[in-house]
Parts: sequence; structure tokens; C-alpha cells
Amino acid sequence: MNSQTRTRLALTGLILAFLALTTLFLSNWSRRPVRLTTIPLVNTNFLDTATVRRSYADLVRAGEDLSDFDCSVCHEKGKAPPLRYDTNQNLIVPKEHSDIVMGHGRHGRNNNCFNCHNETNLELLQTRDGHAVKFADSPALCGSCHGPTYRDWEAGAHGRISGYWNHDLGAPQRKQCVNCHNPHSPPFPGRQPAPGPHPLRPMTASVEPEPNH
Amino acid sequence: MPPPAPSPNPNPAPPDAGISRRNFLRTSVVLTTGLAALAASLKPLLDMNDFPTMERFLQKYYKEMTPADMEKVLKRITDETEKQYGLRPHVRDLKPMDGVEFVYCLNLTRCIGCRKCVHACVAENNQSRNPEIQYIRVLKLPHGSLDLEKAEHDYNPEKVPEKGFFYMPVQCQQCKNPPCVKVCPVHATWQEMEVDSAGKRKGDGITVIDYDWCIGCRYCEAACPYWARRFNFTKPEIPKERLNPDMAYLGNRPRRQGVMEKCHFCIQRTRAGRYPACLEVCPTGARKFGNILDPNSEVSYILSTKRVFIQLKEEMGTSPRFFYYFDV
Repeated sequence: MNSQTRTRLALTGLILAFLALTTLFLSNWSRRPVRLTTIPLVNTNFLDTATVRRSYADLVRAGEDLSDFDCSVCHEKGKAPPLRYDTNQNLIVPKEHSDIVMGHGRHGRNNNCFNCHNETNLELLQTRDGHAVKFADSPALCGSCHGPTYRDWEAGAHGRISGYWNHDLGAPQRKQCVNCHNPHSPPFPGRQPAPGPHPLRPMTASVEPEPNH
Repeated sequence: MPPPAPSPNPNPAPPDAGISRRNFLRTSVVLTTGLAALAASLKPLLDMNDFPTMERFLQKYYKEMTPADMEKVLKRITDETEKQYGLRPHVRDLKPMDGVEFVYCLNLTRCIGCRKCVHACVAENNQSRNPEIQYIRVLKLPHGSLDLEKAEHDYNPEKVPEKGFFYMPVQCQQCKNPPCVKVCPVHATWQEMEVDSAGKRKGDGITVIDYDWCIGCRYCEAACPYWARRFNFTKPEIPKERLNPDMAYLGNRPRRQGVMEKCHFCIQRTRAGRYPACLEVCPTGARKFGNILDPNSEVSYILSTKRVFIQLKEEMGTSPRFFYYFDV
């Protein structure tokens, strides 16, 4: 093979290589950049700062229906309504109050309505030592048993706060016990978690090939 | 001996080569294909469109800017943001308050792992939605251990909390001794805390980033033991209706591709006296924030009376301003 043939072969090889590279680049064979999977916007429910429940004071402030707290519509004033228990000494919740789940305290030890409600005036609450408490002041009633938690709540360490940490610039907004806890069944309810972190690229191999562009 | 006769030129000039037709065609083909390949390989450069304006290119370092400079910069950011998102934001440069040092406390007894804080943070701080950047990572850990190797962050059950687990949200710990600040080669991130010669401390302790000064080398990301820093690998994408127009220069103003970002204790809210967004959205009140220099603040009460058990990875010597505690 003389040198001229060699040169010719090398040049042809180079031309072919360049041509192949050009086709590769133009056809975007490697499919880069990989198109990212579209992440749906998070449901705005997860951004809601409202409390789980609304307290009596909230309802009054919002000027909403307070008929739930108007006991004398059904109950006779000044007379304690009778309570009925089943054979296991569990309170039978009357059907008018079927929305109430009695779950305050473990093992049904706190299943007596009049541990917290005033027997003769149902529109009042009452502590164990006999002090009447209005619905709007319910934290005082809760605090009569849950002392340490009440102390934390007063100091701002228990429960929700919003507004201003700097009291010179604005007032912090405190929430009451019943904003989060159902007094008849106080454990905080579980909830659906918001979506977790999204990887930058899909972790699995099941990536859909992108359409030609 | 007579000098030897001059020998004839051993390399006589070649006959006039000219350019043969064959050579010309061959060279042209090689050159054309070569140039075409080069052009094709350079094609991605055409897609570059985020060239800095001269104003941004010549912008001074944050700490050297005069109020007049800053005003100009804020105006530029406002205009750029309006142009990009079609919404005129309110951008401010908020300075630390006197006699305030921020501390965050998180109650591990109360956290239920619902991740509302994660998304409230994204909404407040204008993180990219696609790809989604999240400052807070909620770790799910089995009861009875704090071994982060056993932690899981992509749990997705129907309902949280799950029995037998507790949840630990991790975000920037605003360290007193931040490793991320030490490694930054251009001082684009720093702690807002200065100690003068008399030993007097000034600043609220937030570690901030100047997104216009960051070169995107990601050293800080590597240095952070909490995995708290995030990098904008692509151009951030935020729909107009989700953009938060209340912005701060060192806080939640929109970022560019190629810069770092992280939790800054919602500087645009906290330096205006308000609580951070993650705290306000927490349904259980597990998050507490305040001024540790104020003895009547919630955080002072918690740190003095509660079972505060860790600063995360205490042994690193980073001394976080973020405390985890238990109620009972």
C-alpha cells in the first residue's frame, strides 16, 4: 500500500466519521437535556393556616349560627337531663347528640357529661370544684385538670400562634384548646400528609421517551 | 584540491502544483462536514438567554452598597421580576433589629409529619415548583432511636402520624458556627452577626445568601452537615398566581439558574416582626420561634423549662440556633 492510498483511506475515514458525528448531533441521539417530569402544583388545602376546629369565640366573632350552644331549646332550664348507661357503665349517647364521640380520657374514665357541663344550666361549663365557666372561657376549664399543659399554653409554648413575635409591631394571635382538640375526644386527629420531595430526575427507568421536537 | 563542483539542487522546486480539481473537492467536503459538526456541537449555546444585564454585572458586593446603590438594585429586581412573572413585587432590603437573636424550637412530641410546613415554605419563599425545591425535609424515624440512617423522607401513608414513628423536620439550622460560610470562596453567604472589638454582638444570626453574588460552586452544599442547601439546577419555574410578591433582597426574591438557596427564617416576615410561614401553618403548634434575648419570649420559656434534648449533630460543633425538644 503506497502512501497515497493510505492518505486517501484516512481522509475517507475522517469524512465518514465527521458525517456520522453530524448526524448524531443533529438527531439529538442522546436525548439531552432530559425533559423533567412535570410536578403538579400542591393542593392549596395544604397551605391553609386555619385551625382544625373553631372555638365558640370564633363563631361569635364570625357572627355564625350558635344554635348548637342554645341548649334550652330542647332541655328544660334548671333541671338536670337524665343520663343512661349500658351494662358496662358506658354512657349511652342519646341520638340527638349522635355527633358526639365520647373519648375523653382512656378506658372511658371520663364519660360523665357533668364532669364538665353544668347540670342545672347547660349553657355553662363547670370545673370539678364547682366554678361555672362560660363557653368562651373554656381554657380555664381544661386547665383545671391539665395544669402543666395550661401553663405551657399561657407561656405560648403549647398550641398554635400566628401574627407577630415582636409584640411592639403587632399582636400575636392565640388559639384556644378547642381550636385543635375536640373536647369530647381530644386526641389530635391524623391527617393526610402533603406530597413529599420530588427527585430532580425520575428514579425509576420507566421514563417515557419524549416526542421528537 | 579544487573545490567540489556545486551539486545540483537536491530538491528541485516541484512543478507548479496549483490546486487540482480532485484536491479542491476533497478538502471542501472535509472542511464543510467538519464545520457542520462543530456548529452542531455548539448549538446549545443558542439556547442561552440569561445573560446578565450590565447593571447586574457591575453590581457591588452587598455589604459595600450604599443605600442609594441598594435602591437602584431593588428597582432593577422589581422590574426584572415584573418582566418575568407579570406581577409587580414589593422588594425590600430588611436589616437585622437591635437586641434580637432568632432561635427556633421544634416540639418532636407534637409534630405529626403532615409536611404542611414544607409547602407553606415553598409558597412563601418563591422556590421553583418545577423542579420543586423544598427547604424543609421531614424525616420519619422509628421510636426509640435517633439514628438518621434509619430515617425515611419519602413516606406517603394515607394518614399521619403512623404508630411507632416520630417525625423530625430538618431545615437550615442557622448555626452559630456555620461551615457553609467558611467554605464560600466569594463571601456570597454570611452570618448576620458581627462582633465588634468590645465584644458586643450585633445582628440576628440568620445565615443569608446574596443570590447576585453566588457563583454556584456548591461548596456550601457539600459543607452543610444538615443537607439544608439547595441548588437551582434549572431555571426556576413559578406560576404567576403562586408568586409571593412580598419579597426581601436576602430572602425570597426570585433566584436564577445556578445559584444556591436555603431557609432564611423567612427574613421578609421575621425581620418585620412576624412569625415564619412554616410556624403559622403548623396544625399542631409544634414549631416555636422568637427572640432568645427576650426573657419573656416563648423560646426562652422552652429552653429554660423544657426537655430540650438536641441540637442536631451537636458533635459537629456547628452550634445550631434550631432546637428540638420534647413535652414530656
